[in-house]
Amino acid sequence: MSAKPGATTPTYSPKVVGRSRLPIFKDSDLDWSRPDGRGFPQCRPALLQTAAVSSASGSAYAEFGNTKVIVSVFGPRESKKAMTYSDVGRLNCNVSYTTFASPTLGQGTDHKEYSSMLHKALEGVIMMETFPKTTVDVFALVLESGGSDLSVVISCASLALADAGIMMYDLITAVSVSCIGKNLMIDPVTEEEGCEDGSFMMTCMPSRYEVTQLTVTGEWTTPNINEAMQLCLDACSKLGEIMRDCLKQAASASDE
Amino acid sequence: MVGLSIGEQHFVKGGIAQDLRTDGRKRLTYRPIYVETGVIPQANGSARVKIGGTDVIASVKAEIGRPSSLQPDKGKVAVFIDCSPTAEPTFGGRGGEELSSELALALQRCLLGGKSGAGAGINLSSLLIKEGKVCWDLYIDGLVISSDGNLLDALGAAIKAALTNTAIPKVNVSAEVADDEQPEIDISDEEYLQFDTSSVPVIVTLTKVGMHYIVDATAEEESQMSSAVSISVNRVGHICGLTKRGGCGLDPSVILDMISVAKHVTETLMSKLDSEISAAEACEDES
Repeated sequence: MSAKPGATTPTYSPKVVGRSRLPIFKDSDLDWSRPDGRGFPQCRPALLQTAAVSSASGSAYAEFGNTKVIVSVFGPRESKKAMTYSDVGRLNCNVSYTTFASPTLGQGTDHKEYSSMLHKALEGVIMMETFPKTTVDVFALVLESGGSDLSVVISCASLALADAGIMMYDLITAVSVSCIGKNLMIDPVTEEEGCEDGSFMMTCMPSRYEVTQLTVTGEWTTPNINEAMQLCLDACSKLGEIMRDCLKQAASASDE
Repeated sequence: MVGLSIGEQHFVKGGIAQDLRTDGRKRLTYRPIYVETGVIPQANGSARVKIGGTDVIASVKAEIGRPSSLQPDKGKVAVFIDCSPTAEPTFGGRGGEELSSELALALQRCLLGGKSGAGAGINLSSLLIKEGKVCWDLYIDGLVISSDGNLLDALGAAIKAALTNTAIPKVNVSAEVADDEQPEIDISDEEYLQFDTSSVPVIVTLTKVGMHYIVDATAEEESQMSSAVSISVNRVGHICGLTKRGGCGLDPSVILDMISVAKHVTETLMSKLDSEISAAEACEDES
């Protein structure tokens, strides 16, 4: 494990650009206080560890508040014989939930598409031409679902790929923002996601300042989308820093 | 799938850069849209939309069901898309499954809004008959018959037209019963309620080829794309859903620019689609 015990877990809360306009409506019925006492632009502390699974080529464990995810990467290994020849590599992703991940027994049905969304997030950033004829398998297991599951899975998967030594253009980080009434809150928990009016999930490459995946649901006005995008970009770059620190610590620990 | 030679690829990209695409359109012009409603008599509502070479059929069927325990005051809507092998031989068997689920997910996102129901194109509370006991389940099915690019826009338009065409029978809850029993319901054969589709959004897909974006890409142009953003805008001008496809990264300012271009294109598309749908409905009423 590469995290030093006793070290404070860093957080990646973005800086809020000064909101100079005063709220016109002081609606008490639209006020939302976050269940864990965070401010709206405040993210949960992020605990990241690499080499969580010793039998995998690379792996990572992430704990963002109550959302706990473990991702292991196998490969590049030989593609199945049934697959046709391909001179670029292949990526195979699978996201599954444990049966004890959510308070209600059994998983929700809207998690089936997380595997394809993880695939889309990763396919643009991995240099597939460096491992022709082979496949890289990414398996993500959500141990506890506490909100923003897909964002944590994507960030953890990119850390696991880096730990496995798969060549990528950049680390990718994902952050989601929830809109409840007029409030935008970053890194929502399960209760906030359950009653949100809209969700905004962005995956970006922090060093290249490029967005690789963007998913918006619910009704959004253009100023809200601008604000959500700024929050996400800032949080993504800070999360990228935390991920790099984690990898550097792992590298220096193995040198000793 | 489309195979283009290097010369053809340069021709497509160069044309787009000069605002003159291979079929003569400008970058932000749609192909002619043809709408026909009521094509499936057994369904509660149906429509067929042809945008250039892309041909899709959408049908809406309503069945009596039970509301889910998590949301007892709302009806349920399920969207399924089927890419038929007649469109592309690769769609046969399991081949079209990935594309179908991607399209179904994007459409569900645009139509149903956030978890609390805000911004939904379909008002789920209007599908309720008796709270916690009886509601309407809407099954929206899309079938892709011929694919020449821009499937998502065509399916969005077809679903909008099918919903306009949908007539849900009126239901009378006949007897008051105890809380734990299913109430008796009487489905009327005569009276029908038309669906309110004023808040159903349209979907505009902007495809980025080189440095420019185009609307309504053909299959050739889609094979040259670096990325595509599908934006769903409703009548009021708010974004109801956004999905980015394609592996290449996009600068955030480009995405914001695409959103404003999409809003601009939606105004003309929405009015064009509304006039086509009402013409189709009028045609159907006469025959």
